[in-house]
Amino acid sequence: MAFSSFREDIMALVTVSQVSKRFGRVQAVQDVSFEVFPGEMFGMLGPNGAGKTTTIRMMMDIFEPDSGNIALFGEPFREEHKHRIGYMPEERGLYKDQKLEPTLLFLATLKGLDDKTAHARLEPWLKRLDLWEHRHKQVQELSKGMQQKAQIIATLIHEPDLVVIDEPFTGLDPVNTRLVKEIFEEQRQAGRAIIMSTHQMHQVEALCNRIVLINKGVSVLYGRVAEIKRDFAGNAVALDGEGPFDQLPGVLDVRRENSSWHLSLAAGVSPQEVFRALAALPDVTINRFEVAEPSLEDIFVTVVQEEQPANGDAQEAREVDYA
Amino acid sequence: MRNFWLMARYEYLKRVRTRSFLLTTLGVPALIVVIGLVGAITALSERNNSPVGYVDHAGFLNEALYADPYLEDMEDRIALIPYAEEEAARAALEAGEIQGYYVLPAGYPQNPQIDSYYMGEAPAGSDFADFVRANLVAQANIAPATQAWLVEGPEVTVRDLNTGRELGRDAFAGVVLPLVGGFFFFFAVMGSSGFLLQIVGDEKENRTMEILITSVNPLQLIGGKALGLIAVALTQITLWALAVAVTVIVASRFVELPGALTMPWSFVAVMVLYFLPSYALIAGMMTVIGSATTELQQGQQIAGILNLLFIAPFFFLVLIFSNPNSPLLVFLTLFPTTSFMTVAMRWGVTGVPTWQLVTSWTLLVATAAATIWLAARVFRLGMLRYGQRVAMREVVAALRGMEA
Repeated sequence: MAFSSFREDIMALVTVSQVSKRFGRVQAVQDVSFEVFPGEMFGMLGPNGAGKTTTIRMMMDIFEPDSGNIALFGEPFREEHKHRIGYMPEERGLYKDQKLEPTLLFLATLKGLDDKTAHARLEPWLKRLDLWEHRHKQVQELSKGMQQKAQIIATLIHEPDLVVIDEPFTGLDPVNTRLVKEIFEEQRQAGRAIIMSTHQMHQVEALCNRIVLINKGVSVLYGRVAEIKRDFAGNAVALDGEGPFDQLPGVLDVRRENSSWHLSLAAGVSPQEVFRALAALPDVTINRFEVAEPSLEDIFVTVVQEEQPANGDAQEAREVDYA
Repeated sequence: MRNFWLMARYEYLKRVRTRSFLLTTLGVPALIVVIGLVGAITALSERNNSPVGYVDHAGFLNEALYADPYLEDMEDRIALIPYAEEEAARAALEAGEIQGYYVLPAGYPQNPQIDSYYMGEAPAGSDFADFVRANLVAQANIAPATQAWLVEGPEVTVRDLNTGRELGRDAFAGVVLPLVGGFFFFFAVMGSSGFLLQIVGDEKENRTMEILITSVNPLQLIGGKALGLIAVALTQITLWALAVAVTVIVASRFVELPGALTMPWSFVAVMVLYFLPSYALIAGMMTVIGSATTELQQGQQIAGILNLLFIAPFFFLVLIFSNPNSPLLVFLTLFPTTSFMTVAMRWGVTGVPTWQLVTSWTLLVATAAATIWLAARVFRLGMLRYGQRVAMREVVAALRGMEA
């Protein structure tokens, strides 16, 4: 099956076309396809071991796909592309016994900046992310959040056209999370493409205009967030009341949101069916019942739980995690 | 290529700024200098520079010959004081004016018995012996050139017809320097390659690897680091060699060194030829170990065993001096991991045949190239295996050219 472009009017910065990768007995990624365009923030979602990181590593030329094609900037991967990419991997690390400033300068020069430019760009970044006072400290003396911000600098300092970030908000407090979101938005407005791989659905919902959801190595959802949510409308209900809501047929997930309950429904289950089931229960009190717009989390749960294997063997094999 | 040099520079500066490097690099020369100084001071303090007296009953000795040009190092010689009578010499000895005296009997040299008198410690006799020899030669009524030959002794140059090398002319420079130089050279290289193992392990453990390989390619990464470490090793060797040279020059002012010190350039040339492939071989092996193992400690244990393959010639040191061309040593010369050390150790005591040098160097280069090739594959395979070791079957698969 040929992969058709999402947009015809503009060249994609990243085109992943029916890419597959197997590690021994484990099919890590199978026929995954998506495109990422300049000036967009693209979310890559999926549970642990879904194949997100393997897909990213294939994009970064760390792994070679068994089949399928990957094009960056309109052509197959070339060594020169590395200078146009900012990558913050899931497994983060900086030289712990080295000082912050020289470490970041070194990483910046590896991305093609000369010493003078690297120095000139580093200072405002350090100041903006409250690391200026800590620039002479060893990396291991910095808090986890500070190290995270340092890595964000290393990812962006060379002003890459494509930014790929795995779990960008891990370890950040709310203030810094807001700051980093602002920075990403600025990068997007500057025409850069940002691929964000994360489990934090609300962040994706707030930041990304398009997503791909990968589960068990397969792309199960792909498109604009608004369109996906429209397609899944009716797949969630919100209610006030008391009762054993987790026992209801057709309900995949129940969670408390403030004083209300939020129920994610399986595909094909209508809110009316849930309402009838509730009414039939003797020990349930309902004060409010309404059809809710599904959040990405609802959609994620719906799609992922429907894809769960019948027996545990396949899942166990997947836990030999190369992703 | 720029990233290759950046990687090398970063690794070099990172290493030379560590405390352990400063301690090792400055500590070893400091130790050498201290040992040299202690030796010189001890030699000076023990040396008795008091004059030596002599009584010449035969009227044989010509005082002027003590300044003879055949006798070298005039400024280092002790003064000789002639006495007419033994009583006068004895009185001078008892007064502490001289450290001892010699008595030539009447009828010398037909009556060749020379007696020596001293109190406590025997007087330094080599200068007086030179003086007597110079007189014997001068009175033999032979040509001046022959006189010089007799005083200085024969100059024998041994030539190995197999290799054309000159051997045995200067035991110290010919045997000891290649041995010591080889050891220094090799241990510095082993040390820096050990760093390479640590680096590959560290990059995996601190998760820097993934950032680096999306900025540089594996060759730039490992090659640049290896080059930086070679530069570290060469810095150490240069500083140590300087320390040795300064110590030798200073020490030679105070103590007599066995033989003239000349640089054995042929040895240096051979070592330079063996250095790069030997280093590449070790670096490749360390990269394979670092990539395939999960923890640095585990890698170091395996590397420790592999190091035995390189230092094996040490165990045959006695054989090297007693039978340097034995079949076992020829085998060790040809075997890639032991060739560097074996050639260095055999160099001073025998002429290593050209065919052995050519064959061992070729084998070394071929093995080093194959190891680097394998290292690149295993590195790619194992660089992101956090907490997972690379199975042997995967290494074998990589060896066959397949991706495991």
